[in-house]
Amino acid sequence: MESPSRPPVRLVLRDGDLQRSRLTVFFRLILAIPLLIWVTLRGIAAGVASIVNWLAVLVQREVPESTHDFCANYVRYSTQVSAYVLLAADPYPWFRYQPDYPVDVEIDRPVQQGRWGGFFRLILALPALLLATALGSGFATTTPGQGSVASNGNEEEAVVWGLSSFGGAAAACALLAWFFIVALGRSPRGLRDLVTFALGYGAQAAAYLFLLTPRYPTSDPRLAEPYSQLPTHPVRAVVTDDLARPRLTVLFRLFLAIPHFVWFLLWTIAVFFVGFVAWIVALVLGRLPLRLHRFFAAYVRYATHLVAFVYLIGRRFPGFTGRVGSYGIDVEIDPPERQRRLTILFRFLLAFPAFVVASALGGVAAVIAFLAWWYALFTARMPEGMRNLGVTCLRYSAQTYTYSLLVTGRYPYAAPVLRDPGPGPEPRPNFAPPEPVLGETF
Amino acid sequence: MLGVAALALGAFLLYPTAVPDGLALPSVDVDAVFGADFVDRAKRYERFFYVNWVLAQIALFVTLWIYARRGAAFARESSAGPIGTGMLLGMLGLAIAWLVHVPFALASHWWQRRWDQNDLSYLDWLFEDWAVLAAQFLSICVALLIVMGLARWLGERWWLPGAAVFVGIAALFSFVAPYLYYGTAPVERKPLLEAARTYEQELGVGHIPLRVEEVSADTEQANAFAFGLGPSRRVVFWDTILEPPFTEAEQKVVLAHELAHHSQRHLPKGLAWFALFAIPGAWILMRATRRRGGMGNPTAVPLALFVVAALQLATAPLSSAISRRMEAEADWKALTVTHDPAALEGLMVEFSKTGLGDPDPPFISQLVFGTHPTLADRVAMARAYADGAR
Repeated sequence: MESPSRPPVRLVLRDGDLQRSRLTVFFRLILAIPLLIWVTLRGIAAGVASIVNWLAVLVQREVPESTHDFCANYVRYSTQVSAYVLLAADPYPWFRYQPDYPVDVEIDRPVQQGRWGGFFRLILALPALLLATALGSGFATTTPGQGSVASNGNEEEAVVWGLSSFGGAAAACALLAWFFIVALGRSPRGLRDLVTFALGYGAQAAAYLFLLTPRYPTSDPRLAEPYSQLPTHPVRAVVTDDLARPRLTVLFRLFLAIPHFVWFLLWTIAVFFVGFVAWIVALVLGRLPLRLHRFFAAYVRYATHLVAFVYLIGRRFPGFTGRVGSYGIDVEIDPPERQRRLTILFRFLLAFPAFVVASALGGVAAVIAFLAWWYALFTARMPEGMRNLGVTCLRYSAQTYTYSLLVTGRYPYAAPVLRDPGPGPEPRPNFAPPEPVLGETF
Repeated sequence: MLGVAALALGAFLLYPTAVPDGLALPSVDVDAVFGADFVDRAKRYERFFYVNWVLAQIALFVTLWIYARRGAAFARESSAGPIGTGMLLGMLGLAIAWLVHVPFALASHWWQRRWDQNDLSYLDWLFEDWAVLAAQFLSICVALLIVMGLARWLGERWWLPGAAVFVGIAALFSFVAPYLYYGTAPVERKPLLEAARTYEQELGVGHIPLRVEEVSADTEQANAFAFGLGPSRRVVFWDTILEPPFTEAEQKVVLAHELAHHSQRHLPKGLAWFALFAIPGAWILMRATRRRGGMGNPTAVPLALFVVAALQLATAPLSSAISRRMEAEADWKALTVTHDPAALEGLMVEFSKTGLGDPDPPFISQLVFGTHPTLADRVAMARAYADGAR
């Protein structure tokens, strides 16, 4: 029996220094072409082997060691190739699985599986594959511009996966990391951690599809905690929500948000105009005045509450004021701080890469919303892993908007974890929580 | 007492129409005019809707009653303040009512398709009204924002300004609706445009634009309507009514009828009638929700939904009767400017055939749903006019 706490498919990261060779990074895609061809061919072979796995599960409820190892090696190898292409690792992975590669996957030995779960594996795996696509890890083999072919073990149900052509969050991170590495010779940790998390999830999804494990992939960001940390940041996500989702509010979630959409639109228009004034004021003062800071902070909190509600990441109908602590998925924002005028001057340009990542993570959150809607409609619950991943997406988005609105000078951090490192004292606001402009009525 | 007297005076002033007092409508043999087979078929077709409507109403009121008793528990699903929570409870009530309504609407659609009265596929039918539903969600939020905002500000005195605000919104909506109604094109038929100029002069209304809406892809039913206030006044024809079997003379009668709605100021009068209903309605709502803490309290919202639905049902016969009087007046004015009772009679026959409408529906159904005089009564009015003209 496998341990319920220890996932049967685990990402192992040995990439400590984040150093990258500028030359190989510059030509990374070209260098990867032979690898991509090879991994595609191996993917076809693994697809065929998965037919054997499928039949074996139906007959004896367990995958043979030989085909298990064959498919597991393929998953490991494709993860390594993906890590290379997406700049999460530097050494060339060559044409076979390398046990000491900086990004690796551990897969447990075969265990007994349920026949029904095996029979419907392709259908069951679809949500995980969809989320893997949004994360950009695709189908373990996926890398930008590449497709692969897989089968659920039934030749008539062979499916062509063009997942990687969409890119997803990992591809967006890789694109930004490429510029960073070419300039500085090292990879940004946050982006690297997000890419490796995506690869880890993709490996889980592939292992599940190939019947290497009966455990459904988990997207819980806690998986990333062994190799990733969230540095202390002035904008933090706070989760006090539960996982229950009443069916009626799930079914009509979009309709229930309609008054919020109208209110959000009006508030956004105000923020657009006030933002320009705030930019000039901040350029003069070197920081954002307290009133404007409160106004923008409330806007970002409100937007986070609203998106959390719409995407089922949060349970309850949010208020209209963005009040601190008023919602189960909340954002803590530190008081205003002095910022460098040069970064204020070019703030929008500087925020552009963060917007790219936020946009990709928005896609992940949208996929979570789609999957969670169906799940919650049947079970009246939200899967914890998806909820937590959704919170990390919202946290990054909130950090991006607070950065671009000059609420903070700290750049958003992409690592897909929720907890910051230590139990040290939380920075507390040096002012009383602001009263919402419209009072408590809304 | 003063309020009741004011309402009665208002109703007294709004009640008269241009239809001559004591106009005796001759008896009409519907079998002879519309055909016995057709009348029988139309009765069978419409009977289903009566039953379906009754069942839908029962289901709706049972559901709303349960929601009125237990719906307040949904307040725990809100992190918003009282008004936000009220909005949530209002929207959830609407959502439940919509869910209950779906099977009956589906049955109606199935029946219409079965009788070749609707070509819309089930999939299209399912998705065609999402925008309308979204608008209803927004409307209920705006309504609750007004009512709860006023109730929290003014206490139990909210009902009078509340009714005034709703009348104001209705007036505003009546004014802007023609500008928001997209998908129409100008009518380009010369005979119709020339007739419009003549009728406008005879009826004493200024120039009113004529528009046509393309609906023939979805239905064969024919219709036209007048809307707007002041400069936004319009007359819209469905394209189905501008094609055969409707003759040019019949189309002119329709035109005159719709222009008469404007000349007789039916839309402003409709708003005035709405005010006469809204003021006591708001007062009843205030009284009914008093035990739940009044309309300022979100937990009163589920009960308020039930009360509003009950008021709508209770006033349906009255509002239908008012509508019938206005339609009869428009028919009469159309006769006085077209001088063509035969065209009006022919129009009614075509209406019944294209819409499979029962020319002489049961009294109860006419009492509740009859926003227009029965087709038989309209034919009778045409004959009465013809007799008078002779």
